[in-house]
Amino acid sequence: MAAAIETKQLTKSYKARQAGTINVVDHLDLHVEEGEIFGFLGPNGAGKTTTIKMLLGIIYPTSGEGYVLGKEIGDMDVHRLISYLPERPYYYEHMTGLELLKFYGSLFGITDKEKFVQLLEKVNLHRDMTKPISNYSKGMQQRVGLAQSLLNDPKLLFLDEPTGGLDPIAHREIRDLILSFRDEGRTVFISSHELSEVELICDRVAIINRGVIAAQGKLTELLKGGRIEITAEDVPASLLSDFNIVDANIRTLPSGLLLDMPEENDPNSVIDAIRAHKGRVISVVPRRKRLEDLFVETVSTPGVKS
Amino acid sequence: MRPILSIAATTVGEAIRRRVLLVILLIGVLFIVVAPGLGILSARSETTVLRAFMLGVIQGVSMIIAVILTVYMIPNEIERRTIYTILSKPVQRWQFLVGKYLGAVLSLLLMMSMMSAVMGVMFFLQQQSKNPGEIADLLKGPAMYFIQMCLLAAVGIFFSTFLPPLVNFFLSIGVFLVGTFFNPLFQTLQENKNTAPMVKLIAQGVNTFLPNFANYNVQNPIINPTQQIQNEGRYFLGVTVYGVVYISILLIIGILIFDRREV
Repeated sequence: MAAAIETKQLTKSYKARQAGTINVVDHLDLHVEEGEIFGFLGPNGAGKTTTIKMLLGIIYPTSGEGYVLGKEIGDMDVHRLISYLPERPYYYEHMTGLELLKFYGSLFGITDKEKFVQLLEKVNLHRDMTKPISNYSKGMQQRVGLAQSLLNDPKLLFLDEPTGGLDPIAHREIRDLILSFRDEGRTVFISSHELSEVELICDRVAIINRGVIAAQGKLTELLKGGRIEITAEDVPASLLSDFNIVDANIRTLPSGLLLDMPEENDPNSVIDAIRAHKGRVISVVPRRKRLEDLFVETVSTPGVKS
Repeated sequence: MRPILSIAATTVGEAIRRRVLLVILLIGVLFIVVAPGLGILSARSETTVLRAFMLGVIQGVSMIIAVILTVYMIPNEIERRTIYTILSKPVQRWQFLVGKYLGAVLSLLLMMSMMSAVMGVMFFLQQQSKNPGEIADLLKGPAMYFIQMCLLAAVGIFFSTFLPPLVNFFLSIGVFLVGTFFNPLFQTLQENKNTAPMVKLIAQGVNTFLPNFANYNVQNPIINPTQQIQNEGRYFLGVTVYGVVYISILLIIGILIFDRREV
């Protein structure tokens, strides 16, 4: 599949008075395929927004290469095919939702009022399109932002914290919209702190920490390595030594025994052995690895450049 | 061209809703309205004082509006992040800057036209239309001030590409004051035989480098009809061309700086 975004050793450095040169983004190699929802994660100050700004041509890389939809970053032709929703966007508040779309549309040479209304319908704002944006709630402002980002029918959308600070209903509305973008064949590049949200909608993610990619890949692959907890009672002590499972933890509880083991192991053989020795299996609970676990593990791993 | 006009129109829309500008404009209009009453305080001709006062108000108020309007123009767009959504569209940075400048100029035109119209009406009411040509003559002042303010707006926009608003505010006003008062001083220094050659050279450099705002202070011939500009059409054309060239240079340098700036 073709790459929607490709960076090779992309670096952005700033000179600090005392600390010398700081690499905010450090030799970044990123690969985002067309048609996927890609999550770009990282703690505050990790370099997420700087990377997006470089990809949009708003700031200039210190070194390295970057390609968006096959063209070098900064190419004005690409700007006709992409769109951007910044974190906590501010729009000219004297405008109404409809006027805002007219303004942004005019930057593309789009003057079709019907299209503006259709987009406002898509984000469920058509009833409020003649109200000034200053009267919009946070969720409505985010939705009008998404509407403006669809004006040019973009192939690639950059969404910076699209659900930041929104209530659960607005969260869900935005999430559904983002999923609809993928169904329409668009590529979505999301920078976010909302890990549960990302886990629900993203196909692949990259975790950036202090300017360096710490992990990148399919969510299904990155989240491998969950565990299974088997609780049982009346298990003879002699059986415990028979469990020859790598990386297993066995704890004795007042109610019995808790066996915690990697999900790669077959729990059936353990369950069969317990039953064969007249033990009773109380529960089998798979503990799936969550994105939050991966995130914390990744950003706190020693060796990741700091 | 379309992005430039859209950005300019949005800038005007914002400017005419900025309360601080509207309050300043209102104060200016109020001063012009009460101006006919001030004539009785002067021993000089009532008309002379009225003209001088009204023109002074228009120039002063326009100067403050031009500076406030432009010093926040680029920093505000960056701080509010509106610039990111605009520059992520097919809009070049030079188009953004020119659009903002054009918006500032159109806003100034709107506000100065309003003050000039009020001035014309007040003058007409006070003079009871003794000579309608006088009003037309009086309006030459705001016309020249408009070019002067376009030049000042270009200075403000130029500085706003790399300076924070507060520094820009004082610097723009400083450039305006020096550019207004230095030229007459320069003429005196040039004519004075006792001026040291080095001082003359420095004065020549400053005079060439700084925008000559004094060019547009044509109030004396308007206030005192006995004073006249020889070949008025040629003078006005000359200073207009000077203004356009200076503005173009400032905008080009501003674009070059803004093009390289990290926003």
